[in-house]
Amino acid sequence: MAITTNVEAILRVEGLVTGFRTGGGLVRAVEEVSFELHRGEILGIVGESGSGKSVTNLSILRLVQCPPGEVSAGRVLYGGKDLLSASEEEVRLVRGRNISMIFQDPLTSLNPVIKVGKQIAEAIRLHHGAKRREADARAVDMLRLIGIPDAERRASDYPHQFSGGMRQRVMIAMALSCDPEILIADEPTTALDVTIQAQILDLIRNLSAQSGTAVILVTHDLGVVAGMCDSVCVMYAGRIVERATVDDLFYDPLHPYTRGLLDSIPRTDSTGKERLYSIPGSPPNLVDLPEACPFQPRCPKAQEACARERPPEVTMAGRAPRTVRCWLHAGEDHHVS
Amino acid sequence: MIPRRLAKNGIALTGIVIVSLYIIVILVSFFWLPFDPVKIDADHLLEEPSLKTGHIFGTDEFGRDILSRIMKGSLVSLVISLSATTMGALIGVTMGIWAGYLGGRWDNWIMRIADIIFAFPSLLLAIFVMAILGEKTWNVVIAIGIVYIPQFARISRGAILSVKTNEFVRAARSNGASAIFILYRHLLPNILVPIIVQVSLALSVSILLESSLSFLGLGIQPPWPSWGNMLSSARKVMVLAPWTAIYPGFAIVFLVLGFNLLGDGLRDILDPRLKNVG
Repeated sequence: MAITTNVEAILRVEGLVTGFRTGGGLVRAVEEVSFELHRGEILGIVGESGSGKSVTNLSILRLVQCPPGEVSAGRVLYGGKDLLSASEEEVRLVRGRNISMIFQDPLTSLNPVIKVGKQIAEAIRLHHGAKRREADARAVDMLRLIGIPDAERRASDYPHQFSGGMRQRVMIAMALSCDPEILIADEPTTALDVTIQAQILDLIRNLSAQSGTAVILVTHDLGVVAGMCDSVCVMYAGRIVERATVDDLFYDPLHPYTRGLLDSIPRTDSTGKERLYSIPGSPPNLVDLPEACPFQPRCPKAQEACARERPPEVTMAGRAPRTVRCWLHAGEDHHVS
Repeated sequence: MIPRRLAKNGIALTGIVIVSLYIIVILVSFFWLPFDPVKIDADHLLEEPSLKTGHIFGTDEFGRDILSRIMKGSLVSLVISLSATTMGALIGVTMGIWAGYLGGRWDNWIMRIADIIFAFPSLLLAIFVMAILGEKTWNVVIAIGIVYIPQFARISRGAILSVKTNEFVRAARSNGASAIFILYRHLLPNILVPIIVQVSLALSVSILLESSLSFLGLGIQPPWPSWGNMLSSARKVMVLAPWTAIYPGFAIVFLVLGFNLLGDGLRDILDPRLKNVG
């Protein structure tokens, strides 16, 4: 499922800037983030904690708590509309029906006092105005679809009667109950144990393939990205530092940060004697970032320009869209063979 | 699950039994009373309790049967306390949950209104309201209801503040739920426990408030009986005929006790922290 440029993007994020006003100053959590998502595509967003992955996604659906958060610039184009300038009511109708979201922690994402079948049914009735009985029946169908055994009986159970993995399945059922075009999965497996992680990811991939739902998968696990995604955005300090297809990213990483991330993955063919590589230093404080490349202090290839000015986003020539935000590649005409 | 824990909880059970007894008395009073509760009987003034005359709780200074008046009065007391609590709870909870959910300036305005009401001692406020509205039965309900508004507002606001930060609120928003939907369908069920407990405690206090108002002559007007105005009229003859005060007093004390036990018991039963213990 290689993406080609002639496919129309269903979601286009342009120059998104989101900040939080705190006592210490303005935290620029997301800075000039642009990407696009195509029908049926699975887009991975990777980055370490605090790199702006989640805030980017919350900004798309205008779910950032305001105040202190504020989406101060950019456009989110969906279905010919800019979600950032649309009315609250318009955005509300998009949420859940066209773009839905699942969160990190399935333990707290379900309402503890409402039966799961009812929670799914309510999501359906919210958008389709279906009769209670139809919605209930559809909720049971959804539970069956996501592989919950004995779905009719389980629909009348409360969330605490489900295991963590099952709850995340319920969240997925709820998110997909209205056949959205886009599913945003914000670290859907972080709170789950490893064996369940694989099941949940398989489920998301299969459902996406079946229904043609595009997925934005936020994760900090490059293994997950390699296994699931068609393309990837690597984020660092609120910026997308590299955007490429999965193959390009893993075989030919351009940004030193991406390279560092790939080098930090433990290898199965190592002797076990050498130390695991880690990127030296730690991510910068996002309050009052200097006019420099934020990765410059940790970058092994830092040049003089890096400390002086922020690198531009360079679009690489090639068969697939690819950008990198680094002085090393500025003005370079890079060919991906 | 809850009924079973209710049966195990002696406190709540005692409360329920007491309150049920009063309800039975009210039901009986619709069809049968030992004597006419308002008919003056000059031949039997201030008669001692006695099985022979049939006045088992005695008679008052107008010769009216005390038991009949207590039975008739229980309906008034219970209806007033139920309606007043319902009114206070509906208005107070609505104010509180919106204040808590919206936060910021709304929170400030709504809660300052509640604070103004809260600043007055409850009986004084009720008297004040009765003085403005006039002495009618439904005005007693309004007066007591107003007293309750800030209590319910505070409890529900606090409860909403603690549940609204839950991830499921954001999940519901990401599903396209509106503010009203989130508040009433997602958050309200989560804060029902403290509200239910407050309702049962408010019921008992409203019995006292109603009695106090009637005692002061602002509540239920004679000749119609209420426990409060029975006590009030007994004041003058209490030394001569103590039964005129003792029995209505007992009626009040037991119902208040019943509601209090019920409230305490419910709190134990519904408290999620104790869920796995019982």
